[in-house]
Formats: sequence, structure tokens, C-alpha cells
Amino acid sequence: MLQTVMAAPGKPTKKEIKKQTPAKTSFTSPFASKWSPLPQEDMHFILKTLKDKLISMGLEKKEVKVFRPWRKKKSKKPDVAPQPVPQVSDSSKNGWTDVAARRQLAIGINEVTKALERNELRLLLVCKSVKPKHMTNHLIALSTTRGVPACQVPRLSQSVSEPLGLKSVLALGFRWCSSSDGGVFTDTVDAIKLRVPTLDMAWLQGAKPEEPVAMEEEEGGERRGQKRKLESESEEVSESPSCTLQPLQVKRIVANPAKKKKGKPKKKL
Amino acid sequence: MALHLKDKEAYQRLNYLYQAAHCVLAQNPENVELARFYCFSQKTIAKRLVLRQPAAQDPSVKRTLCKRCCSLLIPGVTATTRQKRNKTRFTVMRCLSCGQRKTLLNNPDYCLWADR
Repeated sequence: MLQTVMAAPGKPTKKEIKKQTPAKTSFTSPFASKWSPLPQEDMHFILKTLKDKLISMGLEKKEVKVFRPWRKKKSKKPDVAPQPVPQVSDSSKNGWTDVAARRQLAIGINEVTKALERNELRLLLVCKSVKPKHMTNHLIALSTTRGVPACQVPRLSQSVSEPLGLKSVLALGFRWCSSSDGGVFTDTVDAIKLRVPTLDMAWLQGAKPEEPVAMEEEEGGERRGQKRKLESESEEVSESPSCTLQPLQVKRIVANPAKKKKGKPKKKL
Repeated sequence: MALHLKDKEAYQRLNYLYQAAHCVLAQNPENVELARFYCFSQKTIAKRLVLRQPAAQDPSVKRTLCKRCCSLLIPGVTATTRQKRNKTRFTVMRCLSCGQRKTLLNNPDYCLWADR
């Protein structure tokens, strides 16, 4: 039969046509790290707060007309005392006008990542409208391992890059700071912190009552071999003190005969 | 089918090993050896049974394993992630134990084969 030639078809197919497209199963990661959804108003609030903060920050600091060759947005405003643009930028970039403020912030993915690795940040904001997503995905895990609240805000880049004068701001971090400059951001950070939903990684948290349930529904029959019973206990950990296993998530791939190259639509169980 | 069943068991093993490796690292961040062993077993199982033919593992799993030393990469713990650019944007993940680099291209329109 055609099926046996290719691979074990995932599901018994009834139609003839379907039989010609064998379904291949593929092991997929049970951990789907994703950002927790951020409520709309929280998002707006955060954006607004941030923007205002940036703008206001700029004014506070004395304008240091630092005309760096760096192309931070500093638009040419050589003599304009306040540089609204740089100030707004969140942060870290060296601010053009506000070097100290800039120091408080970590702007840019690389900078944020480095600061996270050194545990310097206390709040993390990531732009959600970034593609491909794996550019920022690593930040999620990084920040959760360190207990730093993080959230994804769509359009962060668009709204923040203007004030700051940068082309695109995909990640923003607020450093721990005890200096006076820190004072500027502290209240903002705290305000935002309250709104940020918590992020969780399955393997880190261990007991996640909701996840196993949700996964289980998806899995259906695939789930098996779990030492723990999901849903029922949820909090209990049989394996280890803090780890709970996720149900097995097997991805099925069905070859599509329509495509020349055998593109396979993936069906996740 | 028979094949189906074997796959299932094998997948469960793989899944279990993968999660166990994560848990190990969660509990004891320094113990990368055990995590590495788990992932190594995982790879061997997959190879032996020729599973996951399409891409020898889902990209989400494959991307977190180091090719050379088979350790589980967790950004920040066992691996370093940076953005670089050479005309295009790359996301480079470097395994801390063996120094192996993994480059991911940042093409906004790229979609994985598996997702097609």
C-alpha cells in the first residue's frame, strides 16, 4: 500500500486521495514558550506611561547637547535645548541628552540580553510585533529564570522608537539603580510592574495546573506515560520536587499530494 | 499499527527525556552534564529509530539542542544569544560548553517547513 511506503500514516484515512499522502508524525516540543497575553488596556497604559516618561525625562535632564556621531536618533537639533527625541527614548541608549538616563535603560536586544545575564534588570519590555519571533524568544526564558517581570507589548517599537529617536526598539529594560537617575524611572517601573502578567515556563515552574489541563485536551489520546495524573493533582509533583511533566505532544504531518514538493501541512494534535 | 505504537513509546521517551533535562537544569543550573546526557540519549533514540523523518526533530526542539555536544541550550544559562548583522540580521546562539555557534536568520517572511 502506498501508506507503508512512506511512513506510518498518522490517522486512518478514509479517502483514497488521503491515503496517498502519508502522515508522518513528528515529535514536537512540549514546551511552547509563549508570552502571556497582555490585556489591551494594560498595554495602552504601559505604552502611554512609557512615552510620557520618556518625554518628561528628556526635559528634566539638562540638555546636554551631545552630538554623538552615533546615529541615535538625535536628529540634528544642535541648539535645541531639550531634545525631545532622545529623551523619549527609553532608555538606555545613550541618550543623547541624558546619558545618565540612558544608563538606566537597556535598549536593544543585545544590550538587554547582556544585562539580563548579569541580573541587572528589574523590568523588561519587549515588542510583540517582531518577526521572526525567535529573535526575542530567548528573552522570555531568560527573564523568567531570573524572576524579572516581562511583557510583550505590540507596537512597542513603533511608539517608543520615535521619542527615542531610534529606528527600532525591540527590547527595553530598566536597570536596578540607586542613583538619583534611577528615581526618575522607579515610579514608572513600579507602575508598569503591577500591570505585567507573570510569565511562566513549564519546566521551571513545575506545577502548573492550567497547562496540563489545556494540553491534555489537545493531546487527546496522545498523552500517555505520565507518571503524574494531570488535571487531578496538578500541584503535585511526582517526578521531582518542582517539575511537572507535560503531556506528550506529537505533531502530525500529513503530506500533501497537491504540492509538487510534498509540502506537508502540519497538524498538531 | 505496529509502527505507530513503537513511535508512540519512543516519543514518550523522547518527550520525557527532554522535559527531564529541563527540570534538571531548573533545579541545578550547574549540572549541565546530566542534561547533556539526557539530550544525547534523546538524539540517539531518534537516530536509532529514525524518527521524525521530516527534520529530525521539530525545530523548536532542534533549536535548543547543541549539535556538537548535545547539551540542552537555555538562553542565559547554557547558551548565549546575540544579534548580529552582516547585511542580514542573524540571531546567533552560542553554546557555552563547546562554543558551537548556531545561526538563525532573521527573515520576517521565513516560515518553517514544518509550519507550511
